[in-house]
Amino acid sequence: MKRVYWLFLQLYPRDYRIRFAAEMSRAFESSAADSRRDGREVLIRFMLAEFGSLVTGAAAEWVAKLTTNAAVRGRGLPDPQVMRPPGVSREVWFAAAERPDELYEAQQQVDLLVGKMVHAIANHDFPGARSYSSQEREARENLRRLQSKYGIAS
Amino acid sequence: MRPDTVDTKPLTEPVFLILLSLAEKPRHGYALMKDVEFLSNRRVRLSTGTLYGALRRLLEDLWIERFEQEDTSRDKQAYRLTVAGRKQLHTELERMRQLTRAASTRLRTKEA
Repeated sequence: MKRVYWLFLQLYPRDYRIRFAAEMSRAFESSAADSRRDGREVLIRFMLAEFGSLVTGAAAEWVAKLTTNAAVRGRGLPDPQVMRPPGVSREVWFAAAERPDELYEAQQQVDLLVGKMVHAIANHDFPGARSYSSQEREARENLRRLQSKYGIAS
Repeated sequence: MRPDTVDTKPLTEPVFLILLSLAEKPRHGYALMKDVEFLSNRRVRLSTGTLYGALRRLLEDLWIERFEQEDTSRDKQAYRLTVAGRKQLHTELERMRQLTRAASTRLRTKEA
């Protein structure tokens, strides 16, 4: 049954399949298990409804793909600010609630010190620039430490 | 449609039920199917084709967004309502309320 479902999914546009096929298969498997428990007749009705909706859904998705602006269609892609980056495990990503603030503040500190250093150089304040440079090195080291703690590549 | 504007067209029943389900908390596909069935008193059973077609449109309209839940044992993709989506749901509820009020008034007048 999973294989037949997967074959029907091939009717959908490729970009849609990349975004939703795995989720759809998982939802289908769970629903199929429920219907199986309710008896043979329920399962047959469920399968007919599912496969029928895949055919009509695929046709609708092709129409949507051909008539929708690519930028609007791209809104369905995962938002990297919300989603866990590839290669970062769930355990690491959810390790600390303060993660985004901590990282954000460290990055802000680096940016601030770079700005101050550039301003000092522009005003020929070289001792000040050296001081900001040394603070910036420390801030950057702190940022690297936090990135490594949360498994995020710099 | 811009995310800060409200669409005044009536929502379809599946879309309304999906938004209503997500208004409570973020849910993934299967949980949404079950909750929609519960909310509609087992009258509406979403197929995966209908559900994910609706989710795709809602993502594009910026009424919902993808969201990763911490408490799921498998890598399931959850969705949650955005501010624009909640606003849209309130607009639809207000439209329904107005319609119900008008219908009740008309029926009362007819019966009196």
